[in-house]
Amino acid sequence: MIFGTIFSHFADDGPAVHIAPGGVLHLGPLTVTNSILYGWICIAVMCVVLIAVARRMSVKPRGGLTQFVELGVEFIAGTVESAFSDRQRARRYIPYFVTLFFFLLINNWLGLVPGVGEALTVRGIPLLRPFTGDYNGTLAAAVVTMLMVYTASARESGGVKRYIRHFFVGSPLNPIYLVIGILEMITDLMRTVSLSLRLFLNVTIGEIIIAVFSYLGHIAAPLTAAPFMLVELFVGALQAYIFVTLSIMYLAAVANHGGDEAHEPLTEAAVPETMGASPAAEAG
Amino acid sequence: MTTFMADAVNLAVLGKGLMLGLGFIGPSIGIGLIGGNYFQALGRNPETAKWFGQALVFVAVVELFGLLTFAALFINK
Repeated sequence: MIFGTIFSHFADDGPAVHIAPGGVLHLGPLTVTNSILYGWICIAVMCVVLIAVARRMSVKPRGGLTQFVELGVEFIAGTVESAFSDRQRARRYIPYFVTLFFFLLINNWLGLVPGVGEALTVRGIPLLRPFTGDYNGTLAAAVVTMLMVYTASARESGGVKRYIRHFFVGSPLNPIYLVIGILEMITDLMRTVSLSLRLFLNVTIGEIIIAVFSYLGHIAAPLTAAPFMLVELFVGALQAYIFVTLSIMYLAAVANHGGDEAHEPLTEAAVPETMGASPAAEAG
Repeated sequence: MTTFMADAVNLAVLGKGLMLGLGFIGPSIGIGLIGGNYFQALGRNPETAKWFGQALVFVAVVELFGLLTFAALFINK
């Protein structure tokens, strides 16, 4: 009937959007997808620009790009230092988090360059796609970050056994605390998924929204897509910051405990402690 | 003439619309609560302005659930 034709037209017609990467190059048995291709381009740009900026670094303040990079580095370094109770401890983790922040930020922002995404297609597949708009990319970033966080947490709490002990609020011999501790561990493992999904969905949905509004604009596509581009600039920076902040918080929550629970005897059902270091526990 | 309304209307489109609308209710309320409580705290104690970044972190945590709804739009069958 007429309703059916209208509804099915509305369902079928529309902008072409992709949420999965597609293969664009074939190197023997390997397929290079559009996202990894653009990821390599972004990494090359990042290496050239950031190394050039690092060479220009001087005591006397310089203008231009150097100033903005310095601002970002100081911002993340300040976030790491304020999250830890011990500044000397925090210094060790600053390089990794600053690198991660700039990697994600530049990937998010270069993904908004016109021509990346649905604009240029080869046989129906976009030629370039932001690296963070591919779940494999963000999952890789989250897995590497969480592995680093787990390794560092085990080192900060003084051994793997003490780190695992940290999940139990009381004695693991108490069945209730045992179940709660195991649930805590599963929650901890889910952080990898939530970190990667958050970044991936924000970037991909931004791409989709820009594609939809470019389609609606038709000839005036730059005009209709521009506001969403600006929103995505903000979202890209915010998501890079949030990814880094959350991983810092996961690490700092363990590091600030400092293994003060580990001294308790196993049979004692201790009162659950609040997060963060308490002065009494540090003194004892 | 024998076609019923249910056959004529593409139910998948209606379902997706309902899913989006219902799924966005929760995150919307959550983000509203975070923003409202942030400004209440700011009114009581203006020094809390330095926690703005932390409030955004919680916005991102809540927002994930809305984004998951949006991602579910692309599940076919």
